[in-house]
Order: sequence, then structure tokens, then C-alpha cells
Amino acid sequence: MNLTNSHPDLKFHYIAHTSCDFIDERAIVSGSEPADTYLGLLYTMEDLAVYGYVTNTKVKFVVVLSIPDAVIKNTDIKNLFKKIHNVYINQVCNPFYNLDGKKSIVSKKFIESIDAIGSMSSDEVVSP
Amino acid sequence: MSVLQTASSAIITPFFTSLASGDEVQGSTSNIGGGSNGGNMSVNLKPTHVNESCLEFLMMEMVDLMYRTTVDSENDKEAVYYKLEMLGYQVGQSLVERFTRDRPRFVDTLDVVKFICKDLWSIIFKKQIDNLKTNHRGVYVLQDNNFRWFLRMSTESGSEAAAKRSVPYLWFPCGLIRGALANLGVVSVVIAETNSLPQCSFQIKIAKS
Repeated sequence: MNLTNSHPDLKFHYIAHTSCDFIDERAIVSGSEPADTYLGLLYTMEDLAVYGYVTNTKVKFVVVLSIPDAVIKNTDIKNLFKKIHNVYINQVCNPFYNLDGKKSIVSKKFIESIDAIGSMSSDEVVSP
Repeated sequence: MSVLQTASSAIITPFFTSLASGDEVQGSTSNIGGGSNGGNMSVNLKPTHVNESCLEFLMMEMVDLMYRTTVDSENDKEAVYYKLEMLGYQVGQSLVERFTRDRPRFVDTLDVVKFICKDLWSIIFKKQIDNLKTNHRGVYVLQDNNFRWFLRMSTESGSEAAAKRSVPYLWFPCGLIRGALANLGVVSVVIAETNSLPQCSFQIKIAKS
């Protein structure tokens, strides 16, 4: 699938949309066991692994990683999602952000924090 | 006008966060936790202590402020109700976002309402709802026999007059509940009533899906 020439991020938008379907499948709660927020590895595509996490407020986080040679531990990904969730919580508590507005987040601080998480080295990912 | 409202909710959310994480320090100078980004990414955050009296004064003044600054005399009551309720709505959303973080996911609507009765009420008022009734068809009644924000309210003309005058002070908690429910995926209408202070009850009507 050669989408990268037209728009570099288009591939990731596509991945995010297909992830939503996978998340909806996994998120159906079975009656007996309490559901967890971390959904684990959703699927893999070419050289990318996609992980999902859904919050109690029905917000879905999708992380796309290029598969490295080393094994990725579940706890590392969980910590990653925890950090992302914290940044999101700070954004929601901003009184100037309208949660019901259906607009994408344009706050500079939020984007910078997410970029900082994205560019973290593998050592820093381990600590919560 | 909207700047005032957003500024008020900016102050209120860190109040609740601090009350949840630290102890109250009555009667001394307070240290209000930082601005609109009340939370923090690091785990070793020392709890910020907030004076509970400040919060009560803020709540009282907020209702007064809305009455003073609402100019339109015809739709006075509606406008004040709308402003206070929307303020509570946004604070409720933020609170729920922050405090449902490490919980397992909710199973159904009753679970959500129970969370509000137990966890959310403990965070805001340091006690749980005293009585929860439901007709199992989408109507819940939450009864608080000792509403914390009413503990220091009284009038000289007795309890009935006091109950009538305290109604505007219930609009913000109504919004709080509605915002909390909305962010958890439950659309509702919340009405509050009180017969005698400090007792009050909130009626939640959940929209049929």
C-alpha cells in the first residue's frame, strides 16, 4: 500500500481508524471478569505493531511502534500509556478546553508533551 | 463573562484534587495547587494542601457573583442556573477524567452511578451518599443527609426559608453530577431539592438510548 508519497501521516491516520474497530471488538466486556483499561497488542501490519488502551471515559489511545529486534515488554507499553493518559488528563482539566467540542486538540503544551514521550529513549520508558 | 467562568473552574478543579490527595488545613493560610494544570506527571508529587474554608467561601461567592453579574432581569433565574450548572458540568468532567484513571472499566450504568455515590462523593465531600434509590428504569435518587456545603448555612426565619434560599447552591453540584455522568458516557438530567438543611437529594434521569 503506497500511501506515504501523497501525505506522510496518511498511513498513520489509516492505522488509527482500523484500530478503532479492533478496540471495539476487544472492549466488549464479558460478564464475569473485570475489564482492564490496557488492551494489549491489537494487530501488526508490515513492520508496525499497534497497541491499544481505552479509558473509562471512552477515550482511545493508539500507539504505533515499528517492531524492534528486542522483545517489548507489556509493562513498558503500559507505562507508556500511563504517561499519555496523564498528559491527556492535564489537557482535559484545562478550563479553556471544551471536551464536547469535537475539535482536535490544538494546545501547544499537549503536543509538546506527547512529542517528548514519543522521543523518549527506551531506558526512560521503563520508569512510570 | 466566559473568562470569569473558565477562571472559576480553573481554581475549583485543583481544590478537589488537593482535597482528595492531602489533608485539610483549617483556618490557616492556604497553598493553592497550580493553576489549570492541577495534575503532575511525576509520581513523587507531595500532596498540595488546600484550605477547605477557602473552597466553601468560593462556592458561596460564586452563586452571589452569578446573581450580581446577570443583567437580564427577565431570564434571571434561568441564566444563573445555566451558568452555575455548566460550571459544575465542566468541573465534573475533569474530575472524572482524573479519578477514573486506574480503575477497571465500568460494567453498566448502575456501576457508574455507584461510582458517583461512593468514590466521587468521597473525593469532593469526604463522605459517601447516604441513600441511593432507583426504579430500575433510568431514574436514580441520591440522598445526602449531611450535605457538606450546607453545614454552615442557616437563616433567622427557620428551616423552610433556609431550604428555599439554598436552592441556587445546589445547581453547581447538579452540574457536577451531570458532567461526571456525561464523561462516563451517560446522558442525563439532574435535579436537586432540599426540604431541610443540611439534607438534600439529587434526582438523576437517564436519557433512554
